[in-house]
Amino acid sequence: MSYDDIRERARLGRYPIRGGGARRKIPTFDDLTFLTASASRYPLEGYREHCATRTVLGAKNARDPVVLEIPITIAGMSFGALSAQAKEALGRAASEVGTSTTTGDGGMTPEERMSSKTLVYQCLPSRYGFNPDDLRAADAIEIVLGQGAKPGGGGMLMGQKLGPRVAAMRTLPEGIDQRSACRHPDWTGPDDLLIKIEELREATGWRVPVFVKIGATRVYHDVRLAAVAGADVVVVDGMQGGTGATQDVFIEHTGIPTLAAVRQAADALADFPEVKLIVSGGIRSGADVAKALALGADAVSIGVAALVALGCNDTVHDFGPASYDDLGTTPGDCTACHTGGCPVGIATQSPGLAARLDPVRGAQRVANYLRALTMETTMLARACGKADVHHLEPEDLVALTVEAAAMARVPLAGTEWIPGR
Amino acid sequence: MCGITAIQVRDAALRPKLGELITAMLGQVADRGPDSAGIMIYPEKRVLKGVGHPTTLATEWRLHEISGTQAIAHTRMATESAITAAHCHPFVVGDALSLVHNGSFANHHTIRRELTAQGVEFDSDNDSEVAARFLAYRMAQGDDLEKAIRLLCERFDGFYTLAIQTPQAFAVVRDIIACKPAIIAETPGWVAMASEYRALAVLPGIESARVYEPEPEEVYLWTLT
Ligand SMILES: Cc1cc2nc3c(=O)[nH]c(=O)nc-3n(C[C@H](O)[C@H](O)[C@H](O)COP(=O)(O)O)c2cc1C
Ligand code: SF4
Repeated sequence: MSYDDIRERARLGRYPIRGGGARRKIPTFDDLTFLTASASRYPLEGYREHCATRTVLGAKNARDPVVLEIPITIAGMSFGALSAQAKEALGRAASEVGTSTTTGDGGMTPEERMSSKTLVYQCLPSRYGFNPDDLRAADAIEIVLGQGAKPGGGGMLMGQKLGPRVAAMRTLPEGIDQRSACRHPDWTGPDDLLIKIEELREATGWRVPVFVKIGATRVYHDVRLAAVAGADVVVVDGMQGGTGATQDVFIEHTGIPTLAAVRQAADALADFPEVKLIVSGGIRSGADVAKALALGADAVSIGVAALVALGCNDTVHDFGPASYDDLGTTPGDCTACHTGGCPVGIATQSPGLAARLDPVRGAQRVANYLRALTMETTMLARACGKADVHHLEPEDLVALTVEAAAMARVPLAGTEWIPGR
Repeated sequence: MCGITAIQVRDAALRPKLGELITAMLGQVADRGPDSAGIMIYPEKRVLKGVGHPTTLATEWRLHEISGTQAIAHTRMATESAITAAHCHPFVVGDALSLVHNGSFANHHTIRRELTAQGVEFDSDNDSEVAARFLAYRMAQGDDLEKAIRLLCERFDGFYTLAIQTPQAFAVVRDIIACKPAIIAETPGWVAMASEYRALAVLPGIESARVYEPEPEEVYLWTLT
């Protein structure tokens, strides 16, 4: 902790809160590299030879599994944390490229349902905005046990963002800080979770898949228990995963890196071949996607990267007054999502600021970004000789650092050595 | 790079000469795989494998003296796995199903793990063995040879020409891009395939044979009557 951090606490008498993900240096997918084809393996032609990206989630129990054209989904981000415009833009973008979006704490908005062709409805400990009508309108249900940014912690929405609409949806008074539950009253362990999953299946006529999302801590056991409890899909969110708002101490000091989590999660699901794995936390490039798939994920989710594609932290905007400076933040280094004073209209409930985001233009940028990620992913898969991105495997990777080799359990580059083996 | 060649003899009068025919064919694909060679003979179900030049091995095995209905042979230039007799094709699995492979697969590690999880056991770390075990596993699940080969094409990435024999059948298939060479020749007396035409040119009656290149992902199957 720096002296400034100490001074900040001395001034506030409480912990700092912010948005975003862990900012300190931890091992990431960047510490891995692909062994693409050469003489002992043959590459596929980049532009002519087919490389499949279609991803099916939840075929285990659901009558209507989620079928995605690409293995990249948009993570749950609440209306409340995000403006209605931002939610709409994400929905439009996802529908355009054939993937899904996810609601978030505080429930489902009609605009979001309309704009997103495949919408995952979160069931969270807070239960804010959770109701059977929206449940039945969803294409999948995601039970949230935790988030990578704050495993073990509850939701948080600062009073500035509890405008009339958000407050009404959550049946809370306007303008007060919301600190929501970290445990759902209906379950604590896998035994109760099993009952909850069945209840949700019955409420939706066994039509849609049930996902269980966990923050990456004791990943092997937690993922196994989620599978035993009956999840169709387990979502594992690593420690660098973003958040709309939480205590800085949570963001930086809890959970394990996504890189370490994927392998443990894949191991845990070895006995459950029909249960699919989504991984999130720090996914930014097609290389991240390809590496996550190679280590055992069936799909990835993105939060912060989708917001950046929408215009978060963008310096090209010139809104005149009430730009970054006036709102007390800096472009390129902004983590002010929690304040509601988002200069680009994404993480705000102020009608004036939210109007800065044009959902149609924003959607175009996010759709472009998703297409680019998909191209990068297939490019790497083809170079590894795969006709399907889901055919990438751990043997396609080596590590550049000893730490990454140990976590991902792939050999250190140029050796056969996997630490601990 | 590897050489493969296989023959099914339909004419009973030619069957005593199976050894002679396959010896000549093997000699013509030896340059493609000088490290080691292997062969399976039907109906005897005799497997011969060894490290060394294929022509030398054929002499050691007195291959030309053998008679039978079918033979399938491979000469190997190793890519990833070691040069030992255990790594030699054909991989003989299940109900005397033998497979030879030219090319290399790109996603066999995952398929090996999946099969292992189903209780399938492996003899080597060779990628081609995974294909053989996959076929045997599918057939144990009730698929016929043709269906099993189609599923293999769906599941496996990589470049391959495969020749497969069972006591009653002979099949050839190539990957969707058909990068690896393969040529088939058919006469009323026999049907044969090889990586290169020169291995078929040594067969009696080749002048009047129907000679063609197998199409990508098409399953060619001949059954012994
Ligand atoms: C603004 C914002 C709001 C979020 N809201 C929720 C939420 O309501 N429920 C939830 O499960 N996760 C929430 N998350 C976490 C994301 O679902 C996801 O786990 C995380 O963003 C993935 O990491 P990444 O941002 O590095 O891609 C939120 C994240 C952000 C950035
Ligand atoms: S620009 Fe907006 S969305 Fe991006 S970090 Fe700042 S407040 Fe959050």
